[in-house]
Amino acid sequence: MKKRRSNAVMGMSFFTPALILMIVFLFVPMLLTLIYSFTDYFALSPDNTHFVGFENFKKIFRDELFTKAFWNTVGFVAIIVPLQGLGALGLALLVNKVAHFKKYFKVAFFIPVVMSLAVVSTLWMQIYSPEGIINTILGQFGIDAQPFIHSAKQALPSIAVMSVWQGVGYQMIIFLGGLQAINPALYEAAEMDHASAWQKFRDITLPELKPLCIFVFITITIGAFRMIVQPMVMTGGGPSNSTYTLVYDIYETGTVNWEIGLSSAMAVIFVVFVIILTIIQNVLTRDKEEKKK
Amino acid sequence: MKRKLICTVSAVSIASVCLTGCAKNIKPGEIEGYDEGEQYLSIWVHSIEETPEGEAYRDAVNRFNEAYNGKYFANIEFIPRNDSGGGYSDKVNASVLSGDLPDVLTVDGPNIAAYASNGIIRPLAPLSDEERNKYLDSILQQGTYNNELYALGAMESSVGLYYNKDIISEAGIEIPEPDNPWTFTEFLDILEKLKQITAEKNGYPLDMTFPVGEASIYYYAPFIWSNGGDFVSDDGLTVDGIFNSAENVSVMKYFKDIVDKKYMSAVPIENLFESGRAAFKFDGAWEVNTIYQSYPDINLGVAPYVVGDDWNGENYTPTGSWTFAASSDTENIDGATELVKWMSGVESGLMLFEKTKSLPSTYEAYEQISLFTEDENYKALYEQLRDYGHPRPKTPAYPQLSSMFQQSLENIALSGKNTEEQLDKATERINDKLERYIRR
Repeated sequence: MKKRRSNAVMGMSFFTPALILMIVFLFVPMLLTLIYSFTDYFALSPDNTHFVGFENFKKIFRDELFTKAFWNTVGFVAIIVPLQGLGALGLALLVNKVAHFKKYFKVAFFIPVVMSLAVVSTLWMQIYSPEGIINTILGQFGIDAQPFIHSAKQALPSIAVMSVWQGVGYQMIIFLGGLQAINPALYEAAEMDHASAWQKFRDITLPELKPLCIFVFITITIGAFRMIVQPMVMTGGGPSNSTYTLVYDIYETGTVNWEIGLSSAMAVIFVVFVIILTIIQNVLTRDKEEKKK
Repeated sequence: MKRKLICTVSAVSIASVCLTGCAKNIKPGEIEGYDEGEQYLSIWVHSIEETPEGEAYRDAVNRFNEAYNGKYFANIEFIPRNDSGGGYSDKVNASVLSGDLPDVLTVDGPNIAAYASNGIIRPLAPLSDEERNKYLDSILQQGTYNNELYALGAMESSVGLYYNKDIISEAGIEIPEPDNPWTFTEFLDILEKLKQITAEKNGYPLDMTFPVGEASIYYYAPFIWSNGGDFVSDDGLTVDGIFNSAENVSVMKYFKDIVDKKYMSAVPIENLFESGRAAFKFDGAWEVNTIYQSYPDINLGVAPYVVGDDWNGENYTPTGSWTFAASSDTENIDGATELVKWMSGVESGLMLFEKTKSLPSTYEAYEQISLFTEDENYKALYEQLRDYGHPRPKTPAYPQLSSMFQQSLENIALSGKNTEEQLDKATERINDKLERYIRR
């Protein structure tokens, strides 16, 4: 009995600091954001704040720029998720197969993940520049210089590709862990049955990795939705707002234009959207597991 | 056990940091140099202490405390500002809410209108004519909102129309006098003349971009002003019929013309001018130093900024920088004004020029720096600033106005969208942000 109580005290003493920090830096701000989203809170004159009901939300849904930012974000997600997910799987399979320098490849592909996004973005601005590496190589093949991040059409895909390059190492490591956890006996048995490499991949590797795939898919999706640093550094949301994202809009509205109320409402819409997406993903993946049974 | 101790210690220390965030009411003796009988003045600046700029501010405050020993004591706090403008402004915003603003704070020139109309800063105590006349006219104008002087800066800035002397003389072009600049039409003819020459160098006549951020309005607003246009009404609250006026439409079309005729690259090419492949470039005054230090092969000149065809000698060239202002929370406006005057004064400007090469804000400082009389390029920039400097638009919705101008430029000149429609749309968006001020 006494032991149990001291365990509880011990537990609480570990838990309380984290709880306090979470309340101060997570729960309170979340609640405040929700409250502010119904006000006209303006950072420069907080005394003039009034409740305005759903006015902010109405304004946002009428706002062309917000709609544009929304579709840009969806565009980023649509490019990044398949490219990064499949890329990570492909890299993991390759690195797993390589006989020599395995550690080197692991580290090499992981390094961009460790680097600051701002640094990576600046680096890629050079790579994409009109006289940069890519255009020089293209020039060797007689292809005209491409504007990349300086054109409204190419900027979004260009940034998406760069993001994939930057992030893919992380998911690769996760897949590698999964691959190494697969029981080698399965492959040995398949070999006895003279299964082809493709059959082994389809019937052993993929099903074994499925739970990991779901995890990777969700983390990439949420990461892609939060896109802000790359366009901020590389294009400033341009050209012609073609790389302006939801989180960028929230940031600009709140900090540059000082409209905390409006940007809070945007954040609330963003959260609701991500929650809906997560629920859909959950439902989809649950179905798959049930089917397996 | 050890782990528990670490947890507890870190929790306690974090909690104590949270709780003792703001300490006000500093008493004499608590800070070195603050003595009994002195009036305490707090001042915030937006830079890092260990930078040349930060050192200049620290030095200015130390000299203030010596000069006013026994009367005032100023305590400086450095609140770094990151590239996107956060950090410092976040701290200011938070302090507006909590009422913890210092007596004096730094404000970026274009933000003075917003800070003033939201009651964050208050007008300075009256300055004597002698005191006022020390400052360049552009500094006084920048600091004035609704006919009251709110802020004074130690730094000014300017943008030059730089030219490559070798290319220009190769084309046989004469640079006009400052009072008789090229008009839009004349400039187009010159660009046409240069096209062949720069094409041979694998470049363009003009190294020009429309970058996201403050640079675009800062560099290209003169095209609007010198063409008889403007951005916003005098009270800073009306843009309709001004931002989207016929004059501004013609300026936007002018930029589109420059892009369409390939006088500039639609895609920014790095160091086009610096590598000797462009005849002209618009850039801040810092470019002179950059060229001198890093590109000594470029034979640099400063031409007078281009003007509209019907220009009549009005002020139109870029200006503006960070300033010092008294916050509304100060209970000592006389002391705060003294500090603002000191921080923006001659010595302060000289020190900042020495450390950061930023242009000073007082006539006396320019007279004391030999570079502005001996070096023709610095001299040209100073004279342009002195004779034709124009403050950036004064409106509380400045951030929106600035980004709308840039976007309009980009959409019209680069993406080829309809000019009138884009300017109308931009006007509407700025109007949207002005609504809260009109409603009051």
